[in-house]
Amino acid sequence: MNGEIIFRKDEISADDFTKQIYKNSKLDYSKFYKMDLLSKFAFLGTEILKAHSKKITEYGDDEIALLFSNSVSSADTDIKFQKSYLEEGSPSPSLFVYTLPNILIGEIAIRNKWFGENLFTIFPKFDSDFFANYCNILLSKNTEACLCGWINILDENVDVFLFFVEKTEVNRINSPLNSEALSILYKK
Amino acid sequence: MKIFIGAENIISPLGSSIKENFSKLKDNVSGIKVFNNAGFKKEDIYLSKIPISPVGKYGFLLDTCLKDIQKNIPPELFTSPKTILILSTTKGDIEKTLVGTIENSAGALQNKFSLKRFPIIVSNGCASGVIAINTTANLIRAGIYDNAIIVGCDVISDFVLYGFQSLFAISDEPCKPFDKNRKGITLGEGCAAVVLSNTNSIFKEPPIEYIEGTSSNDANHISGPSRTGEGLVRTVKNTLALADMNEKEIDFISAHGTGTIYNDDMESMAFGRLGLNHVPLNSLKGYFGHTLGAAGVIETAVCLQSMRNNILIKSLGFENQGTPKQLNIIFENIKQEIRTVLKTASGFGGCNASLILKKI
Repeated sequence: MNGEIIFRKDEISADDFTKQIYKNSKLDYSKFYKMDLLSKFAFLGTEILKAHSKKITEYGDDEIALLFSNSVSSADTDIKFQKSYLEEGSPSPSLFVYTLPNILIGEIAIRNKWFGENLFTIFPKFDSDFFANYCNILLSKNTEACLCGWINILDENVDVFLFFVEKTEVNRINSPLNSEALSILYKK
Repeated sequence: MKIFIGAENIISPLGSSIKENFSKLKDNVSGIKVFNNAGFKKEDIYLSKIPISPVGKYGFLLDTCLKDIQKNIPPELFTSPKTILILSTTKGDIEKTLVGTIENSAGALQNKFSLKRFPIIVSNGCASGVIAINTTANLIRAGIYDNAIIVGCDVISDFVLYGFQSLFAISDEPCKPFDKNRKGITLGEGCAAVVLSNTNSIFKEPPIEYIEGTSSNDANHISGPSRTGEGLVRTVKNTLALADMNEKEIDFISAHGTGTIYNDDMESMAFGRLGLNHVPLNSLKGYFGHTLGAAGVIETAVCLQSMRNNILIKSLGFENQGTPKQLNIIFENIKQEIRTVLKTASGFGGCNASLILKKI
């Protein structure tokens, strides 16, 4: 969080990484357990951001845009869903509903009752140009802040990076929004 | 800055050009047919399927659709650094490759058409097409690009069909959007493209003006629409506000209308709340089936044709009112001057989107 390690995975624990974060964050949201990995990480990332910046929860219910992106879409869940009908006897409805990457945006919106703009894009790699441009565009329209994320998950490979963009600087850790700054943040 | 939209094209079971498609729509011909043993348990399933080999179909549709677009704008625009290609899709060529298929398809397009930039891919479920068009217009207005080609494409796969079957969402007859006896969706496949530009003169045929567009989540359920239509109400309100227009200026609504009980009920609630339930409205799913990521682009292309030809197309499959709010559903084709069109879309993940088009 803001360059600091706030939690480390316990390799011995019986819980997977997402459940460890969930417990550590003392969350109580039963929908979490039915989510796929993409949505779990999006949900947890958002909760961590909110815990560290209370101001996020003070925006109007349609003032926050949700902009997310990755390169493999919902492949991690697609594989599991395909397996359900090819090998396990019948197509699983609870997996099928997660075979769209934008479902994670829906999960965040439902959790927070946020009615703002939605966009899910797919890029070969994190595209800081696009995010910087598009946040600035939305902030000049009907949006006051952007919750953004790159959430790319396939098998054991997890690459999750969330950031929050506001119109004005509120504290010292904020950087002006441009492609270069974003790119540096992502690489950290 | 004015944004222009035109050079529309559609490939569907109804035809491989915009002319063929619109001519079939005017004759109220559907692309939906029954396919024996197509379901997971070998059920017969109604589908709107393009009769060519499934192998390589996805790439073929994209290539063919875009080659036709090249005939309607200066061909050198494709390779300009100020032109962007936007691909709107939900599952890409999923039967071919499960992992990375969408990125691969976009990469193939970049090579094939010598595009300066990697395409932007928008994947927002069934609202993808409308969101892709809105995103593009925003990028052009910000001066990042001058022109954009938006192509929407999805094909029927076992993956998607079995998935919707598992949700009991597939109708056992051709879908009947907004009808009292509707039973669910009919899946379709297709590819459509439109061009957006800040320059009127790039279009061979005079374009239509793109006014505004927004999206809104209904924050209700990942696979079920909100009963009140909150997200749809908000996006339409926001789009009207940004366009500095009111609901009385809308001549026609090209709705989403999937043919499921809940979706169509939700849309009727939203249009009722917006004071738009008297405006002529159709769903094109009775012709094309639900083409998912292509739907918003296909339906916007048809809006452009309706505006050019001043014909409102009958909402195929609709017979009797059966939604909580009565809507003005187009029962027979109507010949009428159409100046302003509202296009809407709603989909899984709670996402709703809208855009407004206006004759110049």
